Amino acid sequence: MIGYLTRRLATMLALLFGVSVLVFWLFALMPGDHFSGNRSLTPQRVAELRALYGLDQPVVVRYGIWLRNLFRGDLGYSLEYNRPVAEVLAPLLWNSFLVAFAAFVLTWLIALVTGVLAATRQYSWFDRLVTVALFASLSVPSFFLGLMMIKILAIDLQLFPAGGMLDTGSLTSGPARVVEIVHHLALPVAILTFLGAGSLTRYFRSGMLEVLRADFIRTARAKGLGERAVVFSHALRNALLPAITLLAFELPALFSGAIITEQIFNWPGVGRLQIESVQTRDYDVLMTLTMLLALLTVVGSFLADVLYAVADPRIRLVAKVRHG
Amino acid sequence: MRTKQGLVVVVAAALALALPLGACAATAEDSPTAPQADLTTLRDEVIPATDPGRSPANANRRTDTFVSMILKPGGVFLPGFYENGWDGNAIVPIFASLVVRDESGQPKPDLAESWEISPDNLTYTYHLRDGLTFSDGSPLTADDVAFTLTLLNDPAYSGYIDFSDIVIAGTDEFRNGDAPGLSGITVIDPRTITITTERPNPLALTILGGPVISKAHYGKGYAKGKLDYLRDLYAKPLGAGPYQLDRFVEGQEVRYTANPHYYGGQPPIAHLIYKVLPSTDAALQNFQNGDIDQGGFGSDPAVIDELKELGYATINTRVIPDIGQIWVNNSNPALAPTQARQALNYGLDRQQIVDARFKGLGQVADTYAAPPLWSYTTEGVTRYDFDPDRAGQLLDELGWVRGADGIREKDGKKLTLSYITTKPDDPVIPIGEQNYTALGIDFVPEVLDSNTAFARFNSGDYDLAGFRTEGLADPDDAVREFGTNDPNINLSRYRNPEVTRLVAAGVGTFDEAERKKIYAELYQRLSEDPPTILLDYRKSISAYNARVEGADAFRTGGEDAAQALAKLKIRSS
Repeated sequence: MIGYLTRRLATMLALLFGVSVLVFWLFALMPGDHFSGNRSLTPQRVAELRALYGLDQPVVVRYGIWLRNLFRGDLGYSLEYNRPVAEVLAPLLWNSFLVAFAAFVLTWLIALVTGVLAATRQYSWFDRLVTVALFASLSVPSFFLGLMMIKILAIDLQLFPAGGMLDTGSLTSGPARVVEIVHHLALPVAILTFLGAGSLTRYFRSGMLEVLRADFIRTARAKGLGERAVVFSHALRNALLPAITLLAFELPALFSGAIITEQIFNWPGVGRLQIESVQTRDYDVLMTLTMLLALLTVVGSFLADVLYAVADPRIRLVAKVRHG
Repeated sequence: MRTKQGLVVVVAAALALALPLGACAATAEDSPTAPQADLTTLRDEVIPATDPGRSPANANRRTDTFVSMILKPGGVFLPGFYENGWDGNAIVPIFASLVVRDESGQPKPDLAESWEISPDNLTYTYHLRDGLTFSDGSPLTADDVAFTLTLLNDPAYSGYIDFSDIVIAGTDEFRNGDAPGLSGITVIDPRTITITTERPNPLALTILGGPVISKAHYGKGYAKGKLDYLRDLYAKPLGAGPYQLDRFVEGQEVRYTANPHYYGGQPPIAHLIYKVLPSTDAALQNFQNGDIDQGGFGSDPAVIDELKELGYATINTRVIPDIGQIWVNNSNPALAPTQARQALNYGLDRQQIVDARFKGLGQVADTYAAPPLWSYTTEGVTRYDFDPDRAGQLLDELGWVRGADGIREKDGKKLTLSYITTKPDDPVIPIGEQNYTALGIDFVPEVLDSNTAFARFNSGDYDLAGFRTEGLADPDDAVREFGTNDPNINLSRYRNPEVTRLVAAGVGTFDEAERKKIYAELYQRLSEDPPTILLDYRKSISAYNARVEGADAFRTGGEDAAQALAKLKIRSS
């Protein structure tokens, strides 16, 4: 097992290094830099600025500097925001995480319950309702739904704020602030949950349906186990196994998933910055964000493997035979 | 200085966000009989509120706060050091300048009550008001002005303020030698400062007389060549404007409180907030539910109707001082002859493009100046109304003959022109394609991201390129490039000795009447031998809640915005 882990970690590091080289190089290939779009500068000034920020150096040198700074824990300096990248990103990452995490928890909870109920009561009115909702959730685009909700709930009925994270000029603190943030969270989280729960419910429903038809379920029922025990301890556990992989892969999505929703609801998250950093050629911000997402993806897939091995004895056995 | 361009950046971005919604639908429509381009159709307009009593409760609750909007401030609140144009808007209330420009580009006193310019247009003397202080109560003197200018010319200065067209005397010795300061800056007494420059530049008055920062606050720890210490002060601004920073809530809002030491007296409204909004759509929603008192809403006339229905909105439609153009690469042999560029002008239905782009809030451009500029005139200017026959005739005369496929050829080369744009819904794409193909030109649009587009444009790797100018603060801004052969500046590679002479003459004197005459003649010469294809002037829409008094003088991002803010009042309802 330890040998396996070491090998996995080494592969992960190599992968991240490869990603950083590739992204840095591709980004350098894009024509223009941060200053080329600013027509109010004289060519002389543009040349001075490029020299000041080291943009006149060859790509290899620039990459070396970037890598050296990274090992020192320095993520670089944002040309657009004129501040260290870490300082620019930290609060936005946290805000993005807040929305994504709330939506994530709700999505899984709702998908799990409705998926299981719909499967055990296949073709009931509840199942039919779920199917209709699924269809709606999979076909409505988030921006349309978002704008509708803002129009009806925020502007016409004034039940929710139209966007942002806090009321204008808000001076609240402590519990009152939490309530205020939750109030602002409600609409974006509701939309993300509605859209996310669709595909996941479908996944759980079909997984459960498959497992419920399996031989061991018939055996369990034949042994005289109660229906509740059959569904929740035997069937659900088996239906959940593949979901573990899905769960671990959601890790990067927690920081990158809600770009459109963030835009519509004016949520101060990291999504907008991601797009902007490409447009403004803000190299250090782009590198940091890309590497963060790459890291989370790699770690996510690693966790998926480990968790899967922990949850499913058959996989653990294979690992032992091969590496132990 | 930068703030003027900041405004244009704001509006351009707002427009870019607003455009995709309507422009594609409109391009398919045929334009009605093209109305003649006429200055009277494009001017600032105010539509008063019809029912101020309908102001939403959300807004009425704020009795001592005025809320405006901003798109994405970055938190660098130090003039000359921010990179993001929105920060330029965010600092307007905090920092007062010596001189600001009003909407038409005319200088207006701010911290300086008067100024003199020497007859050779090289030396500037500013006289400060009596008893000036920063918002913390410390005195503001000519020393602070000198310090501000020294900082902006420091060898380590990496901001956007560009002195290379002005050059304060002693810059070279200061930057590259041992000189401790700039020899061209002389503090005569605490209220008088003289600055000598090396190149005459009509914009120098406001660039030198820009926002003043405190030497006591920002000068602590200053050593030539080391400006990194300033980063700690980006979030702690100290200026002499009507408001001082209270808090910047990242991604949410910028909060200000009234400055009791403001030279014009403490502003009547105690709190000011710039709320961060992602788009003009969001701005409208926030204005409707009373979260903001004032906002900019792009250039879609449908928004005007929506605002009118609210009753409490006083609506402003303002002409923006910039020009939409298609730059033409004059160094392409096919485009070098005057007739070729004339043909491109005659052969394009510009009215249709303007209608599609601005739906009535734009006007076909015929002069290298925008209507708000004092030099604007169409007198004697050749107008290129849509005339495909004339265009075809001009191309025939140049020897471009239609080939078998309908595309014109000359010496075995086809007349193929690429067109660079950054907007997929640019109406020039369908209209240009239709018009130019009919003329026998192989028109190839290329949609690129803006940095790539600018890189191609700057390096001369293009035939036609559609871009807006920056905000024009001075007539020279629109024509400077045609006055030099430097390909880094003259991006159209246009050559016309008469034009070169007139461009130089335009900045050779500061006498406005004299300049007006020179520019009138220059515009005529440019129209006879057009370097580019002029497209449009445009308006943008803003509105404010009628409960706020005096808001029509306030333009977000305007250099004199701070002075207007200082006079706002909230009507008690």
